[in-house]
Amino acid sequence: MAWARRALAGAASGGPAGGPAGSVGEGLSGGYQRRWETRGEGRRGRGRSVADQSRTSYYGIAPIHKPPWKWLVITYFYLGGIAGGSYALASIAELTRVPAYGSITRAGRYISLAALAPTPLLLILDLGRPQRFHHMLRVFKLRSPMSVGTWTLTIFGGLCSLSALIQAAQDGVLGRRSGPARLLVTLPSRWVGLLGIVPAFFLAGYTGVLLAATAVPLWTKSYLLMGPLFLASALSNATAAIALALALARGTSHRTLARLERLDSVFLLAEAGLLLAARAHLGGVIARPLREGRVGGMHRFGVLGLGLGLPLALQLVSQRYNRSQMGGGGTSRLATALASLLVLGGGFLFRYVIVMAGRQSADDPQATFELTKGS
Amino acid sequence: MTATRGGASPAGPKGQPAQRPGALGFLTDTTLCIGCKACEVACKQWNGLPMDNIGWTGNSYDNTGDLGATTWRHVTFVERIADQAGRRPATLQPFQSNWLMMSDICKHCAHAGCMEACPTGAIVRTEFESVVIQQDVCNGCGYCLPACPFGVPEISDTDGKAHKCTLCYDRLTDGLEPACAKACPTDSIQFGRIDDLGERATERVASLRERGVEGAHVYGDQDVGGSGGIGGLNAFFVLTAPPEVYNLPRRPELPQRKSVRGYLATAGAAVIFGAAAFFSLRER
Ligand code: SF4
Repeated sequence: MAWARRALAGAASGGPAGGPAGSVGEGLSGGYQRRWETRGEGRRGRGRSVADQSRTSYYGIAPIHKPPWKWLVITYFYLGGIAGGSYALASIAELTRVPAYGSITRAGRYISLAALAPTPLLLILDLGRPQRFHHMLRVFKLRSPMSVGTWTLTIFGGLCSLSALIQAAQDGVLGRRSGPARLLVTLPSRWVGLLGIVPAFFLAGYTGVLLAATAVPLWTKSYLLMGPLFLASALSNATAAIALALALARGTSHRTLARLERLDSVFLLAEAGLLLAARAHLGGVIARPLREGRVGGMHRFGVLGLGLGLPLALQLVSQRYNRSQMGGGGTSRLATALASLLVLGGGFLFRYVIVMAGRQSADDPQATFELTKGS
Repeated sequence: MTATRGGASPAGPKGQPAQRPGALGFLTDTTLCIGCKACEVACKQWNGLPMDNIGWTGNSYDNTGDLGATTWRHVTFVERIADQAGRRPATLQPFQSNWLMMSDICKHCAHAGCMEACPTGAIVRTEFESVVIQQDVCNGCGYCLPACPFGVPEISDTDGKAHKCTLCYDRLTDGLEPACAKACPTDSIQFGRIDDLGERATERVASLRERGVEGAHVYGDQDVGGSGGIGGLNAFFVLTAPPEVYNLPRRPELPQRKSVRGYLATAGAAVIFGAAAFFSLRER
């Protein structure tokens, strides 16, 4: 769709190859937005004179290009993380052989497939030429995280669907008698889950590496932290999604919920630690988009406050409460659900903030010069 | 052509432009540039590229802006009026006064970030060692945009695919030099074999320094410009001011150097998080 829109814009400005534009006004409003026309977009560019900007850079023009990715890719990062994370958690819960955790495995498998289902569409729609999406499968390149990610998504898609089908067969959703159902229940669910755990973890974390393997200062400076950070966030989101589903469902044991909640706290703490470490490592100039402007505010209040701090506090309180009255009921269930919702919202915001802050840092010549100044 | 090294490993001692047998490329000598933009026009004409801006940017005589999908040569104009805390510099250097002009272009890196990032294999290295985006393969994923350390490729608004300089692949196969070099009236843009051009650049820098242009240096060897695993540039420059003045990164890095280490860090984290989940769930 994006492509079609751009094609239309192109037609309005006089066609692709060398054709004269209908008029100047048309040409400029017809979709072309060049960088120097929009360089005041970020808070910093605004109100600086050419002389000011030329003292520190080439008229404030970005020395590198930012990617065109926006909502579709951010949503993909989010859903892919949840899909990979909840599959991994489902498999791990199955491996513990605790019967009560059957509910975790079940919820994890279904959530994983549900989150994964729209992702190919998101990625395809984001392409400049969606019809050519299958060109991604022409080659395999280890050093291109996007290539490895595409293949992983393909393989994981199969395993994730298989696991969900086995689960459905075990749950009797596919009917007890039907041939496929009888075949599926005989499959070794635990082994399929163990096999799928590798692409699942990869899918949950590689997006950080994909961003890090670019020239964008804010993404690449702390490249060792980016993968673990996205992984931690994906796992905390997945735990929250499973906990939310189980908290809303009837008959989930109180202990299972408490365990999930504790695990979520662990992931949230890891995520917060990695995020703060990365921000400190980025340094003043490169981390500027995380401090200033709208994105900076979202980072502080949305990601750190509502997405990490508040749910951690809620979980802490509810864990205290649990300990004081073993087997207490509704209150802690509500707290779990609320904390999970906050985590899920914060996870989306986290990806939004990282992608947008990266785009801003790509537009900031000082950030690139700081990154590449060498020793 | 003396070296028998395999094509994949860029050579050249530190401080020298990469020597790749048979590689063709550009030496852009900014001390000769007069800012006529003949290269920009010749490039647009030969490659059939549409205009992309009618209007003034307010950035000196540079109304082109920067390199992009429809601009494969871009002449920068730097008026160094803001030196020394806003005062005009009192002394002029022997060349170009304090008005610097440089014709920027895709560097056709020895190890190209755009090419390593490309998940479709659309970006290839040609027999001339140039880097070309195959238009019938590119699907417009946009990953080469941030993967280029120099901000060269861009997605076109009209066809949704990434575009950049091809080193006039069609002309090279017919034995012609690229359009921009052909059009350049002062020979600021010189086309030829990388090893010849590298020598010429070193000589030129030495002679400029001798004549008092102390800031003269080569941009695009493995020390400056082609650093950090890029292995040198096939289109390099003679500059007389720090690279940042021309909007060039001083010591860029090949982004994909970080991929494998990034995977490993993520795998380590996965093991730790997985174990944490297992033990925290199993514990009675
Ligand atoms: S300058 Fe950029 S576009 Fe050109 S070869 Fe190097 S990485 Fe690719």
